[in-house]
Amino acid sequence: MLNLTKILSLSKQIAASLLKDEKPEALDSSELFSDDEKEEIINRLTDESEIASRLHLKAQIDRKADWEKIQSNLALPQKTNYWPYAAAAAIVLGICTTIFVSKGGFSATDMADPIIVNNQIVPGDDKAILTLETGEEVNLDKDVPYTAENVQSDGENIVYNEASDPESTVKEIAYNFLTVPRGGQFQLTLSDGTHVWLNSDSKLKYPVRFKVGEPRVVELLYGEAYFDVSPSTMHKGAKFEVINRAQSVEVLGTEFNIKAYKDEVTVYTTLVEGQVKVRTQELVQDLVPNQQSQLNTANRTIDVSQVDVYNEIAWKEGIFSFDDKSLKDIMTVLSRWYDIDVAFEEKNLESERFVGVLKKNYSIETILSIFQKANIINAFEINNKSVIIK
Amino acid sequence: MSHTKNVYNLSLKTYKDVYDSLYVSLCLFARNYVHDLDLAKDLVQEVFIKVWEDKVGFRNEATVKSYMYMAVKNKCFDLLKSKRFRSTENMSVEDMDELTRDSFYLKEVVIEEVSTRIETAIDTLPKKCAQIIRLSIGGLTNPEIAQHLGISLNTVKAQKKIAYKKLRPLLKDYFVLMAFVFDYTA
Repeated sequence: MLNLTKILSLSKQIAASLLKDEKPEALDSSELFSDDEKEEIINRLTDESEIASRLHLKAQIDRKADWEKIQSNLALPQKTNYWPYAAAAAIVLGICTTIFVSKGGFSATDMADPIIVNNQIVPGDDKAILTLETGEEVNLDKDVPYTAENVQSDGENIVYNEASDPESTVKEIAYNFLTVPRGGQFQLTLSDGTHVWLNSDSKLKYPVRFKVGEPRVVELLYGEAYFDVSPSTMHKGAKFEVINRAQSVEVLGTEFNIKAYKDEVTVYTTLVEGQVKVRTQELVQDLVPNQQSQLNTANRTIDVSQVDVYNEIAWKEGIFSFDDKSLKDIMTVLSRWYDIDVAFEEKNLESERFVGVLKKNYSIETILSIFQKANIINAFEINNKSVIIK
Repeated sequence: MSHTKNVYNLSLKTYKDVYDSLYVSLCLFARNYVHDLDLAKDLVQEVFIKVWEDKVGFRNEATVKSYMYMAVKNKCFDLLKSKRFRSTENMSVEDMDELTRDSFYLKEVVIEEVSTRIETAIDTLPKKCAQIIRLSIGGLTNPEIAQHLGISLNTVKAQKKIAYKKLRPLLKDYFVLMAFVFDYTA
């Protein structure tokens, strides 16, 4: 059995020696390698053309793009006999797994069969409604490409191009709306190159193009959106601003998520990269990466906390990532994606908590079965588009 | 009272951290076995997906690396031993023996680990410092570096001093590790 610990500490020593311009004594005295091998190691680490060819290869590896590939292949184990929890575990990279079992353990035998009547619930999908300046509405859907002047959609993403002559000053700039219904999701590229992901039950208002050098302003009327903002430096310093009913978020070029649902009293702004300023009528709050501001729209206070950004933005990657969320909050999220009504027959289940990663393309039955096997719920019932938690 | 169900210990984010810190290294490592970067990427991606599916547990950085290098190596072996690959690549028995030797594996890991460490360290330095350290690693002496960059010998020395100061945490780590190694072998 090879022990890599030795190799790792040897590597650290060699790196330190080379950086300090000292003889790599640790390698010289190592018994792991022959003299020829030692010579090859030093040569590959210090020879100019070896280093150049390594950097050349490195440049051909697109870590971000390849992550997308891996992520699209990550699946949950669907069936397991010995460990029901595994069904809910997309991943266990941990030291050991601690399980708190409530309600007398998990035995498959006393699990109630779900009652399912005329199940019409399907996972959400790419869809949106585009409202033009004229009030005309266009359904954007899979397999229905849409093309107009300076704008086109493939049914998943809608892209606005920069006007061919950006300096030409049209007096009035037209506004469009993009409405994503419950059970939908959509992406949008604004004319400045800013990319926006819109979650279910969301609506964004934006100009079809921005006036050169003036602040770029869009309005999130409701719902959740993730912004990857094209930097100000590329737009003559024009800042980017997202306004909604309770706040405005001002940025120069950055990535962040805003969650401002109609039925929630809190507006969440989560910063992934860069810097933003969250402004209300009374307050200004700067955020740094991994911070989330929680604006309470009722008493108009802002709280700021450190968050695991991944949980906040997993939705745009086709994943629900719940980190110790209450079942009530979780069902609210699910109800938007599956377009369902949820009722709790047993109220105290609302405060049950769940940690886990679920894929958004799972059927609602699969997800509820996972909750049931994990003893978070006792049973469930599906009737048309309603779910009853028992 | 509500119960938290710890269904897993490390989040998807941590899995991604492992990916971010090791993916490029593992691709370059695998390439030295299969001699094709695209093929190497595919193999490494398969290993990452498998790690996820198998719910592999790691205790610390060393066990993660140990597992990942080993898994990628094994994946490469599977391919090298497959009939299709051998017939198309025309690999000799000697080549194969060389590639499957333990010392080949250890050598490739050392080269990859040292390279990454050096690149990471240099990336933390100011531009000028970085340039000087790169030349120094390439074997140039201080006067040669001075000549090469058209700066004074004293500037080279001063810049190196700045670099060593900045890299001190890494160098300190080195001494602690030495102590550990002595303890271990004593």
